[in-house]
Amino acid sequence: MSTPDQDKDLIQLLKKDVNKGFREVIETYSSKLYWHIRRLVILHEDADDALQNTFINAWKNIREFRNESSLYTWLYAIATNESLTLINKRKRNTTTSLEDIGSYLANSIEGSTWFDGNEAQTRLQNAILQLPEKQRIVFNLKYFDKMTYEDMSKVLKTSEGALKASYHHAVNKIEKYLEGD
Amino acid sequence: MKKTDKIRGINPFKVPDNYFEDVNRKIISATAGTVNETNKLGLSIRLRPYLAIAASVAVLVLLSYTAVKIFLPAGETEFMPEISMQEFSESYLNDIDILTLEEITDPLFFSEEMPEVSKSEIIDYLLLENIDINEIYELL
Repeated sequence: MSTPDQDKDLIQLLKKDVNKGFREVIETYSSKLYWHIRRLVILHEDADDALQNTFINAWKNIREFRNESSLYTWLYAIATNESLTLINKRKRNTTTSLEDIGSYLANSIEGSTWFDGNEAQTRLQNAILQLPEKQRIVFNLKYFDKMTYEDMSKVLKTSEGALKASYHHAVNKIEKYLEGD
Repeated sequence: MKKTDKIRGINPFKVPDNYFEDVNRKIISATAGTVNETNKLGLSIRLRPYLAIAASVAVLVLLSYTAVKIFLPAGETEFMPEISMQEFSESYLNDIDILTLEEITDPLFFSEEMPEVSKSEIIDYLLLENIDINEIYELL
């Protein structure tokens, strides 16, 4: 996670020299955003596309970036939107029904060259994939990225109370899934 | 959370070797030089508060004007006190060029009456304009 001070320095650099500043933003955020995207779209090739689109969109809209919002939440919001766009595109293009998209991704995990999890990790990923889309994002941001509810509320434009409830439901569902597995 | 706590923090996903170096290079080359000077972050941020102030002032002026027009009966909208031309020029028009001030405070400026001009003055003027003397007599 990037610190507010790191963000402050990046914003100063962007103001001074937008090209140089943006290069620093890429260096600082590419791996963090990649892992966030990857946990949502599962496949490395999809995550790679979504990551590049995230930075290209951020670059196109850099002048819209408001100083008062944090660079961290702004970039996570773009990355989340890119991931959802990609997932929806996949839903439209695949013959798989919407309900089965979780199973499709679960199969993709097991068959993926770029997945190296043990049995427990595979089961956890499969459990996460059974969650509704929004709950899956909330769970990933809280559990893996350790994002605060305050920041998450900015990323997802949802109240903190709703996010807490969503995370609580997600955890219960995952526990049930793992116990019954 | 019990079961998930055991595997927390372990990332089961992998990426190809040197992936982040490669993708960073790819993104930098895709974005470098594609933005002009007006795309600088600071510009919109610097201008935004001033634009907001200007818009607020414009809205206030518009609202005040509309309120005066709506709530004051017709004829009472002339809320400027009656003052003499002298007072007006002293109080309000200090910044106006003195020649302009003299011109607009000259009673003739607002009067339709023209000063008396004698026939001989008109003839002199027309002769100066090279108009034939016979034509002048015909006109007069």
